[in-house]
Amino acid sequence: MKKEIANFEINGRPYEVIVTPNMTLSELLRDSLDLTGTKHACEVGQCGSCTVLVEGKPTLSCSTLAIAVRDKAILTIEGLSQGRPLHPLQQAFIDSGGIQCGFCTPGAIMMAKALLDENPNPTRQEIKEGLGGNLCRCTGYVKIIDAVLMAAETMRKGGK
Amino acid sequence: MKGGGMKPFEYFEANTVKEATQLLSNYGEKAQILAGGIDLIPRIRKGDIKTEYVVNIQKIPDLDHIGPDGNQGLKFGAMVKLHSLENLKAIQEKYPIFYEAIHQITSVQAKYMGTAVGNLCVATPASDVATALYALGAELKIAGVKGERTEPIEKFYLDYLRTSLKRGEMVTGVSLPKPSPGAGTSFLNLARTRSDIAKMCVAVALTVQDGICREVRIAMGAAAPTLFRATKAEGALTGQKASLQAIAAAAKTASEETRPITDLRSTAEYRKEMANVLVRRALEKALEKAKA
Repeated sequence: MKKEIANFEINGRPYEVIVTPNMTLSELLRDSLDLTGTKHACEVGQCGSCTVLVEGKPTLSCSTLAIAVRDKAILTIEGLSQGRPLHPLQQAFIDSGGIQCGFCTPGAIMMAKALLDENPNPTRQEIKEGLGGNLCRCTGYVKIIDAVLMAAETMRKGGK
Repeated sequence: MKGGGMKPFEYFEANTVKEATQLLSNYGEKAQILAGGIDLIPRIRKGDIKTEYVVNIQKIPDLDHIGPDGNQGLKFGAMVKLHSLENLKAIQEKYPIFYEAIHQITSVQAKYMGTAVGNLCVATPASDVATALYALGAELKIAGVKGERTEPIEKFYLDYLRTSLKRGEMVTGVSLPKPSPGAGTSFLNLARTRSDIAKMCVAVALTVQDGICREVRIAMGAAAPTLFRATKAEGALTGQKASLQAIAAAAKTASEETRPITDLRSTAEYRKEMANVLVRRALEKALEKAKA
C-alpha cells in the first residue's frame, strides 16, 4: 500500500503527515498527531464521539478517510480555544454539569458548535434534534441541552 | 479502543465519471465507490466487505447538482447530501415523504456526510429513504464505460444487498417525476428506538378522482429481501370507492404479500402483523391528504 506525504490544515495550523489510504481521520488525529480529544468509541458512525468539523460541517472522523480531507480546514476540540478563557460551549458544559464521564463531550461540543454556527438561537427541541447523533451513555442529556442553551446565550451577547 | 483494523487498499480520486467507471470496470468486485463513506468505511473496518480498491467520487464536478429535470420533476446527483435534500424547499413541498424519510434520521452528522444515492446503492431492504423514493417512482441515472442508461428504481434491486449495477457501472443521479396532481402520500416506519434501523417501513401514494382510488402505489421496506411494491394490494384498491373498508382490505392483502424474516429487531410473525397495520395507517393518512 502506498504511503504518501499529505498536507492537512488542523485547527488553523498546517501539518505534513505520512498517511496510508486506509487511515481514518480519527486515527490521523489521535495516533499521528496526538490530538486525543477526539474519541474513538463505536467506530461505526453511530455515537458521534468522534465528531470534528471539516470546512465547518460536522463530520464523523471514524468514518472519514484522512486522505480524502487533505487540504481541507479541520477543527477539533483542541482548536476551540487557546488555553483560557475557554470557548463558551466548553465553559457552559462545565457550569451546567453537562459533563459526567466526559467521553462523549468533545464530540457533543463540536456538534453543538456546528449547530450554533447555523442557528445562534435554537429552541430546546432544535438542540435535541441537532444532537440526535451524539450518544451519552451516562445519559446526561438534560444538562447537555442546558449547556448548549447557556452557551448560545453567552455567544449571542458577544462572548467568544 | 484503538481504531483501525482496516485492511490495506489502493485509493483513487476520480476527476470525471469516465475515470470512475473505467476504474470500476478494471477492478470489478474488488473496487468500492466512496461517496459519503458512512456505510462504506465501517463496513470495510468490520471486514464485511473485502475491498482492494477505493474509488473516491467526491471531487467529480456536477455530481452535487440539484435542480429541475426539465419535465417538471426534480433531479439530483450522486454526491448530493441528505442534509441538502432535507433542507430543500422543493422537496419539502413537492415530495414530503422523501423529506420525512430523511428528517426522521436522527444523526445530523450522517445527514451531512451521507448521500441519498449512496443510501440507495447499499441496497438494504430496510432503507427509509429508498422506500420513499420507491413510492415516488424515482428513476436512476446509471453510467458505465459503454455509456449511460436509466433504470426505474423498481428494477434496480435484484436481491438482498444486490443491485442491477454491472461491472464498471455507477449511479450518477436520481430523477423524481412530477408528483401526480392531487396525490396524497405518506411515510411511516416502525423502529425500536428513534435512531435504530426500521423494523419495517411503508410509503404510499394515492390519487382519488370522484371518490374512486385511481393511482395507488404501496412501497414496503424491511418486509422482504428487497424493497417491493405490494402490487396485489394496489390492484385490489384501484378502481374501488375510497373508503376505510377498502383500505383495510388492501392492507390485509399487502401483509400477505410480505416475506419478512426473523432477526434481532422483530419476528417474521410480528412484521407480518405490522405490515397490515402500517399499510392501513399509511393509506388512511394518504387518503386524508388526497382529499385536502
